[in-house]
Amino acid sequence: MSTQALNGSNETIGEVQLECKDLGYSYSGSSFIFKDINLKTYTDELVAIVGPSGTGKSTLLRVLGNLIPPTTGHVFLNGTEVKSPSPKISLVHQSIATFPWMTAVDNVKIVLRGKIEDKEATEIAKNMIGLVGLRGYEESYPKEMSGGMRQRIAIARALAASPTIMLMDEPFVHLDELTANSLRSEIYSIVFNPVNELKSVVLVSHNLHEVVQLADRVYVMGGSPAGIIDEIKIDLPRPRSEEEPLFYEYVKMLYKDLMPKETK
Amino acid sequence: MELTTITLATLASLSRVIVLILISIVSGWFLSYFAVKNRRFENIYISFVNIFESIPVIGFLPIVLIIFITGLGGTLGVEIAADFLVFDAIVWNIWIGQYQAFKTIPQHLIEVSENYNFGWWGKMRHLYIPFSYPRISSDIFPSFADALFYIMVSEVFSVGITSYKVFGIGTLIVQATSAGDLNSVYECLGILALGVVVITIVFGDFSKHAVAKYGLNTPTEIKRHFVWRPHIRKWRTVASPTFQFARYTTKMKTGRENIQTAMTKVRTSPSFERSGKYIGRAIAWLFLIFIGYSSIHVILSIPHSQWLGYFEQTPNLLYQMGIDYIRVFVVTVVSFAFAISLGYYLANHKKMSSTITPVIQTISAFPAPAYFPLVFAAMAPFLIHNIPFAETEIFVMILCFLGTFYYVFFGFWVGVRAIPTEFLELVGNYKIGFFTKMRRIILPATFPYLVTGLSSTINSAWGGLAVGEYWPNIYQNQTLQVHTGMMKVISAGLANNDVGIAAWTSLLFAVVVGVYSIVFTRNLMDLARKKYVIEEGIYAA
Repeated sequence: MSTQALNGSNETIGEVQLECKDLGYSYSGSSFIFKDINLKTYTDELVAIVGPSGTGKSTLLRVLGNLIPPTTGHVFLNGTEVKSPSPKISLVHQSIATFPWMTAVDNVKIVLRGKIEDKEATEIAKNMIGLVGLRGYEESYPKEMSGGMRQRIAIARALAASPTIMLMDEPFVHLDELTANSLRSEIYSIVFNPVNELKSVVLVSHNLHEVVQLADRVYVMGGSPAGIIDEIKIDLPRPRSEEEPLFYEYVKMLYKDLMPKETK
Repeated sequence: MELTTITLATLASLSRVIVLILISIVSGWFLSYFAVKNRRFENIYISFVNIFESIPVIGFLPIVLIIFITGLGGTLGVEIAADFLVFDAIVWNIWIGQYQAFKTIPQHLIEVSENYNFGWWGKMRHLYIPFSYPRISSDIFPSFADALFYIMVSEVFSVGITSYKVFGIGTLIVQATSAGDLNSVYECLGILALGVVVITIVFGDFSKHAVAKYGLNTPTEIKRHFVWRPHIRKWRTVASPTFQFARYTTKMKTGRENIQTAMTKVRTSPSFERSGKYIGRAIAWLFLIFIGYSSIHVILSIPHSQWLGYFEQTPNLLYQMGIDYIRVFVVTVVSFAFAISLGYYLANHKKMSSTITPVIQTISAFPAPAYFPLVFAAMAPFLIHNIPFAETEIFVMILCFLGTFYYVFFGFWVGVRAIPTEFLELVGNYKIGFFTKMRRIILPATFPYLVTGLSSTINSAWGGLAVGEYWPNIYQNQTLQVHTGMMKVISAGLANNDVGIAAWTSLLFAVVVGVYSIVFTRNLMDLARKKYVIEEGIYAA
């Protein structure tokens, strides 16, 4: 399998950050949901994973973070095998999860408690809240915020843990189109901001427009048990616009990959 | 004692409990429906249920004696009196559960039933009753345990020199224990244990079916036909309902309106609203008339001079009540510590949980007063010799603990299991430390369950004190009795034919419990609902 790109470029730049080799997962130990998954993420790269429902994309994300141990294979972060969950690989959930009894700043601080001084934790939490564009809402409770604001808090919390890798499981799926668009247009500059130590992001999404808008590279999953059936490099300048003809070419390419193959 | 007699007595007691549970369920459906449709009736109904739930069964004894024993009289009077006492032990829990289930039916399902003109019976049959099954199936366990606990004090009781009894295993155990006939006690306990295990397994299967079929989006597979097959070996079945309830509550609460917002959304047809109001008022008035009649009857039956004596004793009675509150506090703290340590461990260790939980569930379903005389017989020589100054207190505390710990234990356990996966992943992902996790996540997340569990534990602890503070002839003519305690005053008053002091103390207790319920429990529950619903932390449009 080779990397495809519409302009002919297939190079990737930078160090390998997250790598998985021959990764497989099965609930029962016999029937695999996905198998022989090999993927890599490089420095300053946003990698997307797409695939039909049921291919185990969300499970793969959790296996990458070792929130679920793999049945087969290994995951490496900067060359070291990942054997337990770590804040260095932070997951942002599809269902936006914020603690209802904590203010925004407390929701972010929770990942720093007991690790650094409270004052310093508050400072970092406030900075991250500012970074995601919610300055002034530090003392608000989740129920006083919209879905988009809550997801920004969840992203701020993930960033506060100083992760190397951020795993995002359909982070915009529960937001309305306008809010999702607005967050999408900001997310790249938020996560790859010099303030962070973040090196790369793995995004799972069903929204092909979102994937083309955000990703540097896309892994396409398919088959049963699922595997990586294609790898596409999105070689478009940023900020990306849906008005660009190439944008639609990439969407079409992904769509074609995901369509069931006709058998003769 | 003949084995046939013991078996028949066990069947009589268990049938009594089952029939009373069925009556509670059916009456609860109607009352809960009226409550969710009529705000005025709802306020009255919920206040009454909260207060009555807090009064130990023995507190109702004076009223029961006058209405059923002296009023109705005969075997029927005694039977109804015993049934009423067991009914009182089980009904509040089931009614509150059904009410809460009705209050949390998703608005879109209510709209469908109104849109297509289901009619009153159609709504009950196709929406309200089915929706309450999972909740009933989980409430049935503590109710069954409670009923068996109280059957020991309800099937046989004495007022002065007159002993009232109905045929049942409780009566047989009391008789055999008093006579020191240990073999018969063991036979009774063995056959009762068999009955308890069989019923718990049947309830377990019903619960599994109810949650799978009637819970919202539960992962449990639906069996097309509910056919109960006995599988005694399958102990896990006993525990499964609670597991499923955890999933059920998680799914059910996610994205749904909380009780208060749902309250404003309930729409009713004007004609039903009017008739509902009248029916609601009628039921509320019936409650009031019943209680008022009983109270006046008791007051009039006592001479005026005697009442003056009771008033003079009131400060001392309040002091005795204070001592009992300290006992309840100690039992509650011990139960709480037990719950959050073992409960948390089991919630996170599925294999261990599948072994230990059924054992705890079976112990909790088995009535403590049935086997407590044996615990007393085994421990008394040691305690009297080594801790003579606190031996009675220890026995009372053990009895209270055995009869109550499981409420807060299972409450906490279910609460931990109901925490959405996202939060547990978050805890693992960011390696949040144990104390931060407990203080800032687990305890707040389980707060609503803890409030409910602690409330039930406190209420049942009173029942334990009622039994344990004064227990004549507990074993071979020995009497277990504390030096100071309000429940002892009530029990001893009844045993000495002084119904007046028992009634007056019960009334004082009811007032204190009522104020406690309104000021403390209700505020905690409001706080839990407003701030500590973990499922509200998940935003999924």
